[in-house]
Amino acid sequence: MKDILEQINHKDGMTVPEGYFEDFASRMAASLPVRDWEENRGKVMPRSFWQKVRPYVYLAAMFAGVWCMMTMFDMMRPASPGLSLENNSRLTAALDNDSFINDYVINESGMDEYLIMEDLYENGFTPAEYTATDDNDYNLTDI
Amino acid sequence: MAEEKTLDNSELVARLQDPSTCRAAFGDLIRLYSEPLYRQIRRMVQSHDDANDLLQNTFMKAWQNIENFRGDAKLSTWLYKIASNESLTFLEKERKRAGISIDEQETNLINTIEADTHVDGDALEKKLRQAIVTLPEKQRLVFNMRYFDEMKYEKMSEILGTSVGALKASYHLAVKKIEQFFESND
Repeated sequence: MKDILEQINHKDGMTVPEGYFEDFASRMAASLPVRDWEENRGKVMPRSFWQKVRPYVYLAAMFAGVWCMMTMFDMMRPASPGLSLENNSRLTAALDNDSFINDYVINESGMDEYLIMEDLYENGFTPAEYTATDDNDYNLTDI
Repeated sequence: MAEEKTLDNSELVARLQDPSTCRAAFGDLIRLYSEPLYRQIRRMVQSHDDANDLLQNTFMKAWQNIENFRGDAKLSTWLYKIASNESLTFLEKERKRAGISIDEQETNLINTIEADTHVDGDALEKKLRQAIVTLPEKQRLVFNMRYFDEMKYEKMSEILGTSVGALKASYHLAVKKIEQFFESND
């Protein structure tokens, strides 16, 4: 059996018409349909309206975002110019008023008489250096 | 096999993957592979006209799927696989169309070989062709690839999706069946 296969020597004995493969190659190549990617190759696709305006829309949105962010930071600042002492006449008038200071600053802050006297002693005050009048006014001299 | 290395050159694959050179490269591919693929198909279907149609289908399918060929597999392996599938599908469709069994189709193929005008071989070669068509279709493919094309089992394994061991066993079984055919038709 092996002798038969060796004798045949891998030949199948089949032939084709003369020039078949050359003719087939040219016919086959000519019959290949045009593929989508071949048609689109090299063509510039028209840009849609959105594609045209998109960069400008993105730019405008970016600026709007920056503006909003700056406004927000401004509102979050701890002291606005409207509350400053120099620009507020009502607050300035209140601080110039002695009774206001006595009622709302000295008394409300715990500055009672004992504390005032203690402060005077610490600063070298002696009781002999002051005289009391009939109407209980204190005339402090040389202080 | 040396020719196969030439056919699987990377330059052709690179040109096929470039849309600007793909069509021209595919023309070269047809010129390079039309003969080996034709022979593989014709050994399965025997008729020149059927082989011609199936060869056209093979290249048309390759062209329609060329963008899916990424060069991972060898070009020849990919094409042989398409051609093998086309041949097997054709034989199955023919059986269904004519409403005949595998044995009846085998008889038809033997008759086709008898009536074939595109031959230059002697009686021994014709008898071998008749012996081959008695093999089951996949075994026929294995025998043809191994005996006529002297294809390596590893490559056959890639094309047919069968293990090398199974292919070796199938080939040796095919040789035995052909031997029996020659003995019984002596």
